[in-house]
Amino acid sequence: MAYLLHLIILISIYVMLAQSLSLTSGFAGMVSLAQAGFYGIGAYTTAILSVNYYYPFLITLPIAMIFCGLIALFVSMIALRTVEDYFIICTLGIQVVIFSIMNNWMSLTNGALGIPGIPSITIFGIVFNSKFSFLILSIVLTMLAFILLRFLTMLSFGRILKALSEDEIYTQSIGKNVYLAKVLSFTISAMLAAIPGVLYAHYISYIDPTSFTVDESIFILSIVIIGGMRNLWGIVIASAFLILLPEALRFIGLPNNIAANLRQIIYGLMLVILIMSGKSGIMDLFKGKKKNSSLQSINTGTFTTNKM
Amino acid sequence: MVQIIINIILSTCVYILIAISFTIIYYPVRFFHIAHAAVITFSAYFTYFFFRQLNLSIWLAVPAAIIMSVIFGILIELIIYRPLCKKKSTPLSMLIASLGLYLIFQNCISMLWGDDTKSIRTGIIKVGNEIFGAYITDLQILIIVICLTLFSINFLFLKYNNIGRKIRAVASNQELSSIVGINSNKVILWSFAIGSGIAAISGILVASDTGLTPTMGFNLLLYGIVAMIIGGVGSTKGLIGGAFLLSAAQHFTAYYFDSKWMDAVTFIILILFLVWKPLGFSGKHLKKIEI
Repeated sequence: MAYLLHLIILISIYVMLAQSLSLTSGFAGMVSLAQAGFYGIGAYTTAILSVNYYYPFLITLPIAMIFCGLIALFVSMIALRTVEDYFIICTLGIQVVIFSIMNNWMSLTNGALGIPGIPSITIFGIVFNSKFSFLILSIVLTMLAFILLRFLTMLSFGRILKALSEDEIYTQSIGKNVYLAKVLSFTISAMLAAIPGVLYAHYISYIDPTSFTVDESIFILSIVIIGGMRNLWGIVIASAFLILLPEALRFIGLPNNIAANLRQIIYGLMLVILIMSGKSGIMDLFKGKKKNSSLQSINTGTFTTNKM
Repeated sequence: MVQIIINIILSTCVYILIAISFTIIYYPVRFFHIAHAAVITFSAYFTYFFFRQLNLSIWLAVPAAIIMSVIFGILIELIIYRPLCKKKSTPLSMLIASLGLYLIFQNCISMLWGDDTKSIRTGIIKVGNEIFGAYITDLQILIIVICLTLFSINFLFLKYNNIGRKIRAVASNQELSSIVGINSNKVILWSFAIGSGIAAISGILVASDTGLTPTMGFNLLLYGIVAMIIGGVGSTKGLIGGAFLLSAAQHFTAYYFDSKWMDAVTFIILILFLVWKPLGFSGKHLKKIEI
């Protein structure tokens, strides 16, 4: 039972991560590989503040989010000078730099040894140290993030993002501030990624840089793509699927290391199949009907202007 | 100090090899072929398989591994990229498909051969030759020689050979080149074959120098891509400059600070270039980065 709760907590953490990435990669069409970096910044901020300075959760969470947002603001000003595949390489670079700082700045982050002994979350005297209470907290936060993203994407802001992912120059020509929308979406997405980072650090109570590698970024991006880019419910299903997959593989008797490799092979295969079939997300793949979906729009619409 | 210079020259050569193997594919197709990293890794593991596990002679194992890698590269193009290209997919979705392929192959390799570092070399490790107080092994001299030869062959090939010129034609304008009767599919296939071949050679060389791991190809490819971008896409001379700048920065970082900051420095250089000099030093025109 405790194991099941643990899995659900992990799923909710990844749902938050993937949905926050969906704001930039799905809605605005800027595929980013730096999400695990922001996730890590969130986790490290709260770990350092709560272990060294004994700050409570309600203070570390906003600080982590704001800190992540500031870094993302700075980074987006650099990264947004590039588009599409150069943007991916640029965000990959940012991810490597963030990882390298986490791994090598011994005096601040304790390097590869990680930071142990992160206390449990305490809100107004209630200690969230049991799995069940933590589950409720993480689900509440996931729902809040979900509602916020739903709300944001339904506003005119969301429509600008979708429009710029279809045709950037056209969106600019009808008087929308494309650059501001991109910077905002990147920053908000990084701020939201700090929340699962904070939760993860307090939940596992020990963090080290290996949780925030490039592979992790690729994994988060895979969840978004398999979930269907802009499909927030699809992302919930995709992350449940991809988290439970290795457990299922272990359940049928595969050894641990092969199960880990097999999981990566399966989501690599799913990425290839999705792109080859032109479907958007796992739900669309099984439904079998073809509609004008978001991956399709990335396939056809988005960057035609650049080829002119 | 001489040792640093030798190391810089050595890694410059490796990056140039990787970068030319990548660019010869990148120029005509214009998307980031991330699965190229899998080709590099596969070539090293094929050599390991033929040489160490099947006990073939090295003169048979290396060509066999190169041929296998070329076939592998061609199959990727035929099975995955060509159908995607027909559907007019954007470079972005091609990149994602390529990333998926890379994940598949890299994990296949670590399932088949394990994650630990393997070595192709047998026997005792010789002390290298001494030049001005620094050491360089025979193998490292071989790397430099092969790199220079392949680089000049590639340069002449692109300039004077019929297929090389067709590759450049498709690279500069695919539609126009098909109007004058160049079959772009065939040309792209050629570029995949040549690129995979060079990648295989460099993969085997690096593997025999430093050992092989399932992720070696990805790091090498990233350095190659960084060298290409900072050198300026589309410029052969820029490539040398990019590779040299990159490896000089890496080795000086390792010397003055610590080798653990090498990756960070590499990507900081890349980001700085993308911001202030998005065209690399050659300054050639590139549509994508200038919006």
